[in-house]
Formats: sequence, structure tokens, C-alpha cells
Amino acid sequence: MHNYLRNAFLCAAVVVGTLGTAQAEVNMVTWGGAYAVSQQKAYGDTWKGDKINWINYNGGLGEIRTQVESGAVTWDVVDVLPDQARTGCDEGLFEPLDRGMFVPAPDGTPMDQDTMRALPNDCVVPNIFWSYLAFYEEGTFKGEQPSTIADFFDVKKFPGKRGIHTWPNALIEMALLADGVPVDQIYEVMSTEKGIDRAFAKLDQIKEHAVFWSSGSKPIELVKSGETSMSLAYNGRVGAAILSQGEKLVPIWDGQVLEEQWFTLMKGAPNAEAAKKFLVHISAPQQQAGQAKWINYGPMRKSAMEIIKANEPWHNTGVNVMPHMPNRDDVLATSIFSNAAWWADYGGELKERYTAWMSQ
Amino acid sequence: MAGLVFTDQSRLPPSPFLNNVSTMPTASANPAGPILTVDGTPLKTSLERSLKLSKLRAVGLVFPPLVFLIFLFVIPIGSLLTRSVDDSLSNKVLPRTLAAFERWDKTSEPDEAMFEALYLDMKAAEKLDLSKLGTRMNYEKSGWRSLVKITTRGLKRIEGPPYKPAMLKLNKRWGDIAFWQSLGAMKDPVTFGYYLNAVDLKYDGNKNVMRVNKHRRIYQLLWWRTLLVSTIVTIGCLILAYPVAHLLATLPLRISNLLMICVLMPFWTSLLVRIVAWMIMLQQNGVINDSLVSLGLLHDDNRLEMMYNFTGTVIVMIQILLPFMILPIYSVMKTIPPSYMKAAQNLGATPALAFLKVYLPQTIPGVGAGCILVFIVAIGYYITPELVGGKDGRLIGNLIAHHMQHSLNWGLAAAMGATLLAAILILYWVYDKLIGVDNMKMG
Amino acid sequence: MGLPVYATPGQRIWHYSYLAFCALVLFFLVSPLIVVIPLSFNASPFLHFTQDMLALDPKGYSTLWYKSLFGMCDAEEASLWTSCTDKWKVGTINSFIIAIAATGLATTLGTLAALGLSREHVPFRRTIMAVMISPLIVPFVITASGMFFFFAKVNLVSTMSGIVLAHTILGLPFVVITVTSTLVGFDNNLMKAAANLGGTPFYNFFKIQMPLIAPGVISGALFAFITSFDEVVIVLFVGGPDQYTLPRQMWSGLREEISPTILAAATILVLLSIVLLTTLELLRRRNERLRGISPA
Repeated sequence: MHNYLRNAFLCAAVVVGTLGTAQAEVNMVTWGGAYAVSQQKAYGDTWKGDKINWINYNGGLGEIRTQVESGAVTWDVVDVLPDQARTGCDEGLFEPLDRGMFVPAPDGTPMDQDTMRALPNDCVVPNIFWSYLAFYEEGTFKGEQPSTIADFFDVKKFPGKRGIHTWPNALIEMALLADGVPVDQIYEVMSTEKGIDRAFAKLDQIKEHAVFWSSGSKPIELVKSGETSMSLAYNGRVGAAILSQGEKLVPIWDGQVLEEQWFTLMKGAPNAEAAKKFLVHISAPQQQAGQAKWINYGPMRKSAMEIIKANEPWHNTGVNVMPHMPNRDDVLATSIFSNAAWWADYGGELKERYTAWMSQ
Repeated sequence: MAGLVFTDQSRLPPSPFLNNVSTMPTASANPAGPILTVDGTPLKTSLERSLKLSKLRAVGLVFPPLVFLIFLFVIPIGSLLTRSVDDSLSNKVLPRTLAAFERWDKTSEPDEAMFEALYLDMKAAEKLDLSKLGTRMNYEKSGWRSLVKITTRGLKRIEGPPYKPAMLKLNKRWGDIAFWQSLGAMKDPVTFGYYLNAVDLKYDGNKNVMRVNKHRRIYQLLWWRTLLVSTIVTIGCLILAYPVAHLLATLPLRISNLLMICVLMPFWTSLLVRIVAWMIMLQQNGVINDSLVSLGLLHDDNRLEMMYNFTGTVIVMIQILLPFMILPIYSVMKTIPPSYMKAAQNLGATPALAFLKVYLPQTIPGVGAGCILVFIVAIGYYITPELVGGKDGRLIGNLIAHHMQHSLNWGLAAAMGATLLAAILILYWVYDKLIGVDNMKMG
Repeated sequence: MGLPVYATPGQRIWHYSYLAFCALVLFFLVSPLIVVIPLSFNASPFLHFTQDMLALDPKGYSTLWYKSLFGMCDAEEASLWTSCTDKWKVGTINSFIIAIAATGLATTLGTLAALGLSREHVPFRRTIMAVMISPLIVPFVITASGMFFFFAKVNLVSTMSGIVLAHTILGLPFVVITVTSTLVGFDNNLMKAAANLGGTPFYNFFKIQMPLIAPGVISGALFAFITSFDEVVIVLFVGGPDQYTLPRQMWSGLREEISPTILAAATILVLLSIVLLTTLELLRRRNERLRGISPA
């Protein structure tokens, strides 16, 4: 114990010491888990510049706001969700960037025309798409296999329980799509009281059969143990189970809901110059594509998708990763791009309604 | 009293006489006059002085920890509570608009003057304030957030009066009277709106109290559920604790000390460890379900749902809080001589009657202490329901944390916190009256 | 506690069912903690007993998860387990630093308060005592929320010192309670006698009072330590990414996925609690012996 404590203090001293010298390094703040590992491999290992400190956080603007308001900014680059990317830029928490500094696509297309979704403001740097989707395990159903989101909501045709998450995002969109609303009218319908009622009516059909999850690893467990016959999940989790662990899981791409993920630079970042160079590096097509070697999240830049297509098998396990990309061409027609602005307005209200629905 | 004089001597100048009690001749020599101490001051004055000194010294000892506590605990909680009624942001950012709102009849379409006030207010405001205000306004009516955001961005494109058509062009929702009406709920710098929200009520545009849309009513449900869970947990703990406390109190010390370890070990083990342990026991593929299935008592398809729901929360909370019930009851039972029960039975009472009439009443203080303690702790629980609560086992504490950390609706979080705190302080006060906080013992 | 020979069959049944009930309750209290221990030696990444384990086959058991806990896995293993990080190590170090600092502060302040409060003639004694104990009563969520806003104002959010101060507050009531209760048995005449014999108050305190109230101070300190060491709500609310503590690591692990690594950590914490419990029991005995109370 004594020795341990001494070691502990020595370690602490070392940690404090390195913090003191962390002047010319880039503090990169991201989400942890396999996602952070993929970033370290694709962005960190290919980076020749200053040292990168990988820091994990739990999302949200709280800490970012505290740092900027107190003037004691310690973070440089932050990996943020679409809502925070917008709000943070509006509030002046992130630095607007000169779009000209980014690496153009190999064919010369500038960065801001090479992204699959238009940049919502000047603060954001392209990162990835991830999605919510339904999946099941091979051999669960005899005969016809589920292939659409409507099948997910159809417990008569495909019996068994359904794993769904404990918040309303993506579920409302999926319910409406399963109820026959065309992809391009989803948010129009959702903006009316009737539309929301309709979504909940659809959700009622699986209410009795629902098993709720709140952590990303749970859905795989639910389906593999047979507790549910199908579940919704983050596409990266399903992909990792298939690609890295060899699980026989089948994703249902129809009706998936795509979410954007951006990089931003903190206002008053302590290592702004180095951080900008690093942002240029990680948003370049080559690095964007490289990230998909380690996890099946879709790069935002179209040219990065082309690099993957041309160099398959791209995944580090030696298999083709394209069939697992959430933003590949052949699934886009039946996918929904989550509307961050809509959720910023109605998310709070809907979360209350969903919570009430869940516990009734 | 004499003791005080002695303790004070250490501070008095050394005197050859002071250490000797018998050198206080004045007391007996002058029975008629005022009693004097050695140095000639009246005893009364001397005693008063020493009392004051003693008080001062006690206060000196208590002062640093008390100041520490007041600064880092009492004041922060106090300021948290002020947030529950604070609605000054809208007044700060939109003074002209709110003044114009007062003059408006609340039913007709807003006129140019209102739009002008709004434009001037938004033009003068800080970006950050506007963003915060948009979030605040969104609590009253969904849609405000994007409306404020879009308008903030478009302000520079407006080139001067008339403002109404320009604003309507920016976003047609400015023509929606419902947005304007919702301003009424936030026009006062001090509001009870958050307290109303905490029980599924709200102000309408005229500050009349009304219920929220039926789909959104979750807070009352959660308050009831919190009370229900706390009550079930308290009663459950009592039923489990009473016999065990009795056994521990009546067994020979050697054995009871050994069994006491079973009670104290979970008490001293990390809360999170106990939760992990229960997850492993209770989940679908957990130890209990596995055992029941392999014993053939349960079909594989009908595994019991004991985790991530109401049941899970209750089971885990009972186990976690059980020591809080056993220990106070045990310490009271320990003081009851076993001869009382024997005497009662010798006098002809049946064991059951003797227990009811003689034993039970004497254990009531312990039972009361345990129940209040368990209830107080249970009602504010957060970690356990968050991890094992799942779809219907979350409590009010979880909602407070949600609004603190995720939705950032701090006013609502503070209002719920204040309500919860009030309930707890009342129970604490009862506890103090019944048992006295300084009689609290640990372990 | 045996039954008298003349007990009726009814009384016998009643008595044995009472004993059985108590046994079940004690089992309910302890069994989950015991189950964790063998499962942490599981050779497979599952959280239930495998066939090999039930057959007591050595290949069903391994110390894999302990290696992962201490970050001792090699590169190949590390790529298999995302849980193999130095997070646990860093978290444990942070937890120790925070808990030791908070315990030191809480013990000093709490002992001062208890000494003051147990003197005669303290004004508002009851009120001050109630304030001192209130951090125990106020739910952690509320305390944490209040501190978050306050700390944000004084730039203590996301700092180690912020968490130490907050944990000091949480530990303070335990020290006040335990020291006050040892002072109840303290014979003040000893101090008077010492003063009478010419010792300075400072000298007298450390030479006479301190050794006698030491058991109370130490058990209060242990409570403060374990409170801080186990605390996660405050850390979540006011801590930043650098204040990664052991409970926080467990918390995020529990929310994400319960890996057997968590069970290894849990096992170590169960053992730690046994050590603490034993220490406390020894202290209690010493205290009783010193005060001449023979165990009744």
C-alpha cells in the first residue's frame, strides 16, 4: 500500500509536470470508446506535427461555455453533435474558419462543395455521419426476412420483442416512415400536432413488445441473447460486431436516420495555429477515408467515399467496408437526414411526451 | 461551576496562590458582602467573565468549519434556490418588447410598434443573451429557439422601418399570434412558473395557471412514483430489518458480532459495486434467471424482468438502504432488557401479546429513526435509479439531473430541487424533534 | 437464543421460520457481493457462470480482467478489449489524491467543530449542529447542482480543488458526529486536571484529549474517506474530463457495458471495504477498552 501510494504520487507529479509543458500541443476533445480509437489511428498516427492530447468528454456545450466565459480555454479542437455545432457557433463559442485553408478534393473541388450536406456555418469542419438503424441476427426468422423499417414495427409478421432507445430522436422519424410518410415529408408531418400523434400511434403498436436500452452496447447484447428479435442501434456498433467480431448480424438500412458529427475550433483556443493545421489534416479526404478503416462511420466528404470505393477491401480486417457505410449511395434514398434545427425546437417537448409514453 | 475557574487559570498570570483551592478565604470570611475571588473582583463578575471566555473559545473552535460550510454549502444551495424564481433574462433582453406587450390587447395581430420594439431589443442584445433567451422562450412554446436564431442571423438584412413586413419576411412565424401570447408567461422578473412546470402546470399568456398538454404530463407522475418507491423501500426495509435487528440484539455477542459483519459489509462497500452486483444477479441473463432456468423452474422464454425497471429499482434500493434501518433499530433493541418479555409472559401474557404490548412500544424510537432516515435518503436518490431504473424506475432526482446536465433548464431543475429539499427539511425537522440530530450514530 | 424445552410445536415452527427469515435477509444483503468475486475470474467475457466455471475447471478461470484493470495487457490484447486502458489506474490515483486531501480537511474542520460544540455554553448549539449535519441530509443531486453554479462563478469547475472542497463538505458531518459521540464519553475533568497541573491548552489537547478521542477522529476520517472515494455525483457535475476518478470510471462503464473488468475493480473494492470494516471494529474495541467499557 505504502509503495503504491508513493507511486501514485510520483505518477501525479509526472502528470502535473507534463501539463505544465503542454504549450505547443493540440488538445483534441472527443467521445471515447472505439470511436476515439479510430480517430487516434486515422488522424493521430498519420499526423507529423505537434503532439495531440486526446481528451474525452460527454458532449454538451456546458463545459465549452464555462471555458469561453471564464476566459480559461484549455481545449482546442472539439468533436460535436449538429445541435451544439450550430448553437455554439451562434453563441460565439467556436471560431469561424476560413474555408479556403482546407484541402480540396483530388479533382479540385473545394472542401465546402465536397461535403454530402451543406456546412451550416463557418465554424464547422467536416467529420462523419453515423446512424440509428434496425438490425437482427441471421436465423432469427424463418422464411421471409425483414428488410424495411415497416417490418420493424410489424410484430405480427416478424414476432418477438423490439429493442428501442429511451429518447425520442430518430424513433419518431422511423415510426412515420414505417407508417407510410415519404422521406421528404417527414419533418413537415412532424411539425404538426397530428403528425406527432400519428408517430406515437405507430409506436403504440410495438409498445407491448418494447425493451428499452440507453447504452450503445446493449442492443447487440439484446439481439444476441435472443431477448429481442430485432433492435435499433448505432450503426457503428452493429458494424463493429460484424466486421471485427464476426457476428452474423443483419442491418436493415431502410429507414435509417443519419446524424451529422462535426469538428470545431474553440474560441480563444490556446494552440489555435497548430490546431488549425490539425483540422486541415483531419478533414482532408485521405484522413476522412482512413477513419473508415477502423469503424464504419461514413466520412462527410464525397471524395473520401471515392477513395474507399477505389481501394476496397478498405477495412483493417481485410473486408470491404463500403457495404457497411451508412451514407453510401444505394441506401440514401430510403434514409432520413436528422434535422438538427427541428430537434432544437421540439426536442424538449418531445422528450417529455416520450418519457410519459414510455412509463405509462 | 468551579471547573470553569480552573480551566481559566491556564490563561491567568501565574500566581503562587492560584493553584491552591484553599486560598479563597474571602468567600467564608465575608459572608455578608459580595463574594470576591483572590484578585479582589466579585465572584459574579469573575464567573461571568470566564463564562464569556469559554463561550468565545467554543465559538472560536466552531467558527472556521461553520464559515467553510456556509460559504461552500449553504450559500451555493441558497443561490440555487433563487434560480428557481429568477426570470430576469427576458426583462434584460426585451424591455421594449415587454412594455409593448403590456399595451397589446393579446388577441389582435401585433402592430408595427411591437415589431419595432422587438427589432430594437434584438439589435441591442448580446448574441449570447439572445441564444440563452431563445432556449428560455422555447420552454413556453416550442419553436422559439429556431425563431430567435433565424431572426438573430437575419437582423442585419433589415434596413429600417417598417419592421413588421421585414420580420415577417425573415420568418412567417412572427405572424403567429401564439408566439406573441407566450411572452406573457415570462414578463415578470420573478416567476413561479418553474414551480408550476414542476407539477405539470404552466402560465398562459395572461398569467393564469393551467395544465400542460396531456401528453407532456410527467412531473406529477414522477413525484408520485418517487413517493411510492420511497414508501415501498421504507416499509420493505422495516419488514426485513426488524427481525434481523432483534436477532442481532438477542444473540450472544460473539455470534452477533459475526452476523453484524453481514450488515456492515454492504454498508461499507462502494455503492457502484453493489449496483454492479445486482445487475449481475437480476438481469435477463443474470445469476437468478440462469439458476431458475437451469433448475427447470422457469421457461427460457419467460425469464423474469427484474432489472431496468421499477422492480429493479426497488430491490436494489432496499438492499442498499437496509443497514440504515437495521442499525438504529438494533441500537434501541440492545437497551431493552430481555427480562421485560419474560416478566410479561410470567404474568400470563402470550408471547404474541407480550411482544405487542411490551417489546414493540419500546422499539418505536429506533423504528422511527430508521424509517425517517431511509425515507429521506430514498426520496433524493439518483445514482441507483439512473443505472437500474430503465423505463419506469426513474425518480425525481433523475429528472433534476437531466435538466441540470442535458436540457439545461436550470430554473426547472432548481424548482424541483427546492420542492424536494423542502420535503426533506420537514422530515429532518421531525427527525430532530423525535430523536435529535446529535444522537445520530454511525456504524 | 435457544428454545426452552417446553416450547410448543407452534412456537418451534415460529422460532425456526424466524431464524430462516433472518438468514434469508442476511443472505440478501451479502450474496450479490460474494457472487462478484468468482465472476471476476471468469475466463470468458460473459457476466454469468460458464459451464467450465461450474465444473471448477481451471481453464474456466483467469486473471485476465485484473490485467486489463491494471492496464497490463499487451498490444494484441489491447486491441481486443477497449476496456484495457490506463483509465482505471489514473482514476484510482485521482480518487486517492482527492479522498486523502478531502479527508484531511474534513477531519481537521470536523474535529474543531466537534470540540467546540461539545463545550458547555455554546450559543445556538442545536442550530449549528443541524447545519453541520445537513450535507448528509441534502440529496447529492441538489448539493452538486448548487455547487456547480457556485463553482462556475469562482472558477472551480473542472478543477481538482473544487472536488476536494466539495468532498470535504460531504465528509464533514461524519467527523462531527463520530468525534462528538466520543467526546460524550470524555471526562472533562482530565483536561481541567491537566490545566491545573500547568500544561498549555495546546499541549494538553495533543497529549491528553487527542489520544482519547482518536478512535472517534479516525473512524470519522474513515467515513469521510470512503464517502469521497465512492462519490460520483459531485464529480459528474463539477468535475471536468481531467478529474477522472475510480467511481466515475465505474459509472461510465456501467452505463456503457458491464465488462468483467468492472467486476475485477468491484472485487478489489469489496476487499477494501472488508479492510476498512476490520480497522473500524478494532478501533471500536480499543476505544471501549480505553474508556474502561467492557463489551457487554
